[in-house]
Amino acid sequence: MKGIDLLRITIAFGLLLVLHYTLRPLLAWRSSPDFLVIALLLVSIRVRPGSAAVVGFITGLIADSISIDGLGAGALAMSVVAFGASWLKAVFFADNLPLIAFFIFLGKWALDIMYHAASGNLGGGELAMQLLVWSPLAAAVTALFGLIVLALLRPILRTSPA
Amino acid sequence: MASRVSGRRDTLLLSACVALSIVTLVLPQTVRDPIAAAMRRSVVAPLLSLQYNAELTRRAWEARERTRAERDSVVLAAMTAPELERENGRLRRMLGLGRRLRWGFVPAEALFSRSPGEEYTVVLSAGSRAGVRPFSPVVAPEGLVGMVKMVDPTMSIAIVWPHPDFRVSAQSADGSAFGIVAAHLGDEPDRYLLEMRGVPLRTSLTPGTLIVSSGLGGVYPRGIPIGVVQRELRTSEVWANTYLLRPAVLPADVSTVMILHPQRAGAGVNGVWELANPDSLAADSTRRADSVARARADTARPRPARPAAARVDTVRPRAPAPARADTGRRDTVRRQAPVRRDTAPARRDTAPVRRDTARRDTVARDTAAPVVPVTPAPPAPRPDTVRRDTTPPSP
Repeated sequence: MKGIDLLRITIAFGLLLVLHYTLRPLLAWRSSPDFLVIALLLVSIRVRPGSAAVVGFITGLIADSISIDGLGAGALAMSVVAFGASWLKAVFFADNLPLIAFFIFLGKWALDIMYHAASGNLGGGELAMQLLVWSPLAAAVTALFGLIVLALLRPILRTSPA
Repeated sequence: MASRVSGRRDTLLLSACVALSIVTLVLPQTVRDPIAAAMRRSVVAPLLSLQYNAELTRRAWEARERTRAERDSVVLAAMTAPELERENGRLRRMLGLGRRLRWGFVPAEALFSRSPGEEYTVVLSAGSRAGVRPFSPVVAPEGLVGMVKMVDPTMSIAIVWPHPDFRVSAQSADGSAFGIVAAHLGDEPDRYLLEMRGVPLRTSLTPGTLIVSSGLGGVYPRGIPIGVVQRELRTSEVWANTYLLRPAVLPADVSTVMILHPQRAGAGVNGVWELANPDSLAADSTRRADSVARARADTARPRPARPAAARVDTVRPRAPAPARADTGRRDTVRRQAPVRRDTAPARRDTAPVRRDTARRDTVARDTAAPVVPVTPAPPAPRPDTVRRDTTPPSP
């Protein structure tokens, strides 16, 4: 990755990080968009899987430090999701909006499943409700917002010619 | 070779991240909390500040919306308050009218018809089961409203004064002029005025003169306010004057009325409406009708402890009974009251009025005529009820 591309992706990542901690509390929806997942997937498809895993680990630790319990659960889930996204980037590399939206949807849902499985903060029917109802809803909202963000950040995210 | 090395490195990095995450997960709480706190105070601090400010913004927005909703509610309540106040005042005046009438009336809701041709009729929520009869007068605290035309068991239909068929025999409050009051069939807005016809030429009515029902004709009792003279009307009549009246009751304000029973109409309504000053009629009606204030004043006023022997005057009937052929004498109740002789002087001390004159003044002769004339029988001399001044001196 060139330096200019690294700068662009860093700016986009920073913007999404700020959105996650400003717009999300403002919306206060039951199924809010997860801008961290969008940022992580944007980075993951542009770096090697190992680097993506490290970025996911750091991002997960940041997210976990704010939550009361489950420090490490988010890091674990984001590491795996980022690594998988980077590994599968060839599949999803096509500039196809529905495919990208589905990619974000799957990434967010998988992240939630791993996070709740690792943290163990929910159980029984509550966990099923969360994973089968609220998580897909949040994943769908995240996918929608991901498309909007990609459309807005397209000038920044365009890779420079080799 | 290079791709294999990089692939191994990626796997190692993933394994390291996963291992570190699992280690972080299984760390005891006492170790994890300081780590999270250190992150919150350093790397995550700007993000936490952003989140905190966003939360504050959202709460401020919600508080603003809540305040605006509350303000709207207050404004709405303030808009409806005058209407409620008016309705409350009207109901209180109705209570006051009922208190002054005391008996022989039926309160009813008045529903105005909006269909063409029925603008001047009103449906009343009381019918023959409540004692309403055709030609029963319909009144309001301000004065005369109209007359019942048709009666059903549970409802009745009345014409109000703008109706073309409405007529009432009227007089000025001081009794100097008589005439017939009917609706003024002019164009809008004069349509909602009255006119008093047939006033003799020799009498002149000045603007502001209060016109009341005269009691002639047997439908409306004497003394119900009808309206106030506005001006004289130019007509083709030569030997009589016609005057334009401003009605005492506005149909738009009529929502609750009183229907007078025929017996009550026959007994008269003297003293129910104040007829002294027509300009202050409305204000006086409000003041006198304020039953709540009156009740409050009655409650607050200290009542002197009266001995049981002085309760003679409470023997009076609460409501005059309908005239019956066998009990038509007005003093029947007083004479039959179990008055002890030793209490009579006490009553005379407090009220030095002759009993026979007081009885005569309480009922107007022209309105209290019994249905069947009865010749009063001479009272039998009873030793315990014979007045002292009529007892012959002992030899």
